[in-house]
Amino acid sequence: MEPVTVKGISKCFGTITAVEPLTFSIRKGEVLGLIGENGAGKTTTMRMMATILKPSTGEIRINGYCVQKEAMAVRTQIGILFGGDVGMYNRLTARENIAFFGTLYGLAGMELNKRIDDLADMLEMGAFIDRRVGPFSRGMKQKVAIARTLVHDPQVILLDEPTTGLDVSAAVIFRQLITTMRQAGKTILFSSHNMGEIEKLCDRVAIMHKGKLLFHGTIPALRAKSSIHDLDDLFVHLVTGGKPIE
Amino acid sequence: MSSRHVWMMFQKELLDIWRDTKTWIAALVIPFLVIPSIIYLMTQSISNVEQEARAYVPIVITGDTSQGLVAHLQKEPGVKLLTAADPIQAVKEGAARAVIMIPPKLDQALRQGALVNMEVWYDAANQKSVYARELIEKSVRTYEEGIVSKRLEAAGLTSAAMHPISLSVSNLASQERVSGSMLASIVPLMLMLALASGGIPVATDIVAGEKDRGTLETLITAPVSAQSILTAKLLTVMTMGLVSSLASGASLMWVLRMQPKEGEKLTISFLQPESAVLLLGTLVLLSAFFAAVELCLSTIARSPREAHIYMTPVAFLALIPSYLIMPLTPADIPFAYYLLPIFNGAALLKEIFYGQIEPWHVLIVLSTSLLYVVLTISLAAALFRREGLLVK
Ligand SMILES: Nc1ncnc2c1ncn2[C@@H]1O[C@H](COP(=O)(O)OP(=O)(O)OP(=O)(O)O)[C@@H](O)[C@H]1O
Ligand SMILES: [Mg+2]
Repeated sequence: MEPVTVKGISKCFGTITAVEPLTFSIRKGEVLGLIGENGAGKTTTMRMMATILKPSTGEIRINGYCVQKEAMAVRTQIGILFGGDVGMYNRLTARENIAFFGTLYGLAGMELNKRIDDLADMLEMGAFIDRRVGPFSRGMKQKVAIARTLVHDPQVILLDEPTTGLDVSAAVIFRQLITTMRQAGKTILFSSHNMGEIEKLCDRVAIMHKGKLLFHGTIPALRAKSSIHDLDDLFVHLVTGGKPIE
Repeated sequence: MSSRHVWMMFQKELLDIWRDTKTWIAALVIPFLVIPSIIYLMTQSISNVEQEARAYVPIVITGDTSQGLVAHLQKEPGVKLLTAADPIQAVKEGAARAVIMIPPKLDQALRQGALVNMEVWYDAANQKSVYARELIEKSVRTYEEGIVSKRLEAAGLTSAAMHPISLSVSNLASQERVSGSMLASIVPLMLMLALASGGIPVATDIVAGEKDRGTLETLITAPVSAQSILTAKLLTVMTMGLVSSLASGASLMWVLRMQPKEGEKLTISFLQPESAVLLLGTLVLLSAFFAAVELCLSTIARSPREAHIYMTPVAFLALIPSYLIMPLTPADIPFAYYLLPIFNGAALLKEIFYGQIEPWHVLIVLSTSLLYVVLTISLAAALFRREGLLVK
């Protein structure tokens, strides 16, 4: 059974339908790219997978646990990173921020410290790991947030626009990290507005538009849909329903 | 709910607050600076005005200044005679405190047994002028008594003929009880205000603020239950309310210790160990109630700003019952007050400081308070579990 299966989930906020019934799955060791315009429903979908929002219909299973019925078990399986401004406890140091989440997942002592040091090495945060995060730049905070997401070594990783705010070298480090995690057999859902990044990292992509899933498959399969070479143009072609771009 | 999770989160909240100077200023410096200053200023300005009023009493005497009363007035401590072109204006301007008009040939008229009218002008809006008037009245009365006793003597009577009854009055209240009743009127108000307002900045920050910063969203994806998160936050807000009210109490004790040695002193020696425990219990229950109410408001709020607007009335809410109860003695507190939220705590605080604790009331207040705490915490828990209220 695939680690992530999403079956017919939808989400309504009052009269607004943010996500229409959606079905996809992610395999072990796979990176699925989630693409869509602003407001397409990517964050809403991830929030449902992360047990924050309850789907209006459908079912999500993560490593066999039902998101709606076994929320606590699901939470131990996942690590999630939200896009936008990165929220941190500003008066705590980077290490304290990461350690706090580590303890909530049951880590402690030497094991936790070693894990934090490894993550700090991987993300090149050694220089500021023991400083308070308040004055950090957006990219520095993003690195701390990534470490916080991965501290408990989750099997399923949900990343909502994780590279926003990272400089070029940090983005490169991050991509290497994703590659490493994929090799370690993690299951990753990754949303981005950067098609180049998606192409480099993802095995398959899911394209959402106005709450609907327009495409779910490999990049070669996506390319086969049209003769347009540029992926950005191809994406626009797809979401505008084949109408020419003005 | 996991007590380990609660403890981890509670520790983190305290560490976070510990490093936030602004919160400490709100929670500690205000009780330690503002309360003593207010009490100091109040007692100082009252005694200063009094001292000044006594030390120098400039009055204007008009009319026949050759009379014996003038010398008698001059003997009063602090009295200085002034001359003024317009004596009434001088009183209005504050240069003179009062004006007395002595009728011509006063002494002669009195010897003849006539009834004389004398006029005094003063400024009732000026505390020092009021004192000058009292001094003049007192002085005129003693002058009058001298004349009366001479008349009685002439008629072959003693002054006992005029005042056949002598009255001796004794105060039954100990100094402790006097202190208690004075403290019982102001301290519950102060403690209540500190309990309610001490937790507000933190309550705003740890739900509405965290929602705004996105940290709460991350927290609820961790394997911790909503109850654990709420419990940790409740304990944090309670801690701040209690710290703030204990700081107010400590600051009050410090002020009491600083009082001058002589004269009437306020003490808290009437507080027995049992009543101190009861006091602490009441404060804990009240702080839990306020913390739960504040967390509810912070959860409903869509932004820290909105939370702040919702919280402002909480401090008022805390003040109204204490204010209504302030002038009452425990015997006068209506029974309904022991049942209503906040009122019940304020009423019990009053009894504790008054030293008249009614066990029956203790039972009612503690059980109703517990009920209100359970209800508000359940409401907060329901809001916490409500989808979407913890994310922006
Ligand atoms: N809590 C909510 N209440 C009401 N409507 C919401 C809520 N959350 C999201 N929506 C609506 O759902 C739709 C999808 O929003 P969502 O945040 O999932 O988009 P997104 O694909 O993540 O966009 P972006 O690329 O800008 O991050 C939008 O129309 C949004 O206004
Ligand atoms: Mg989004």
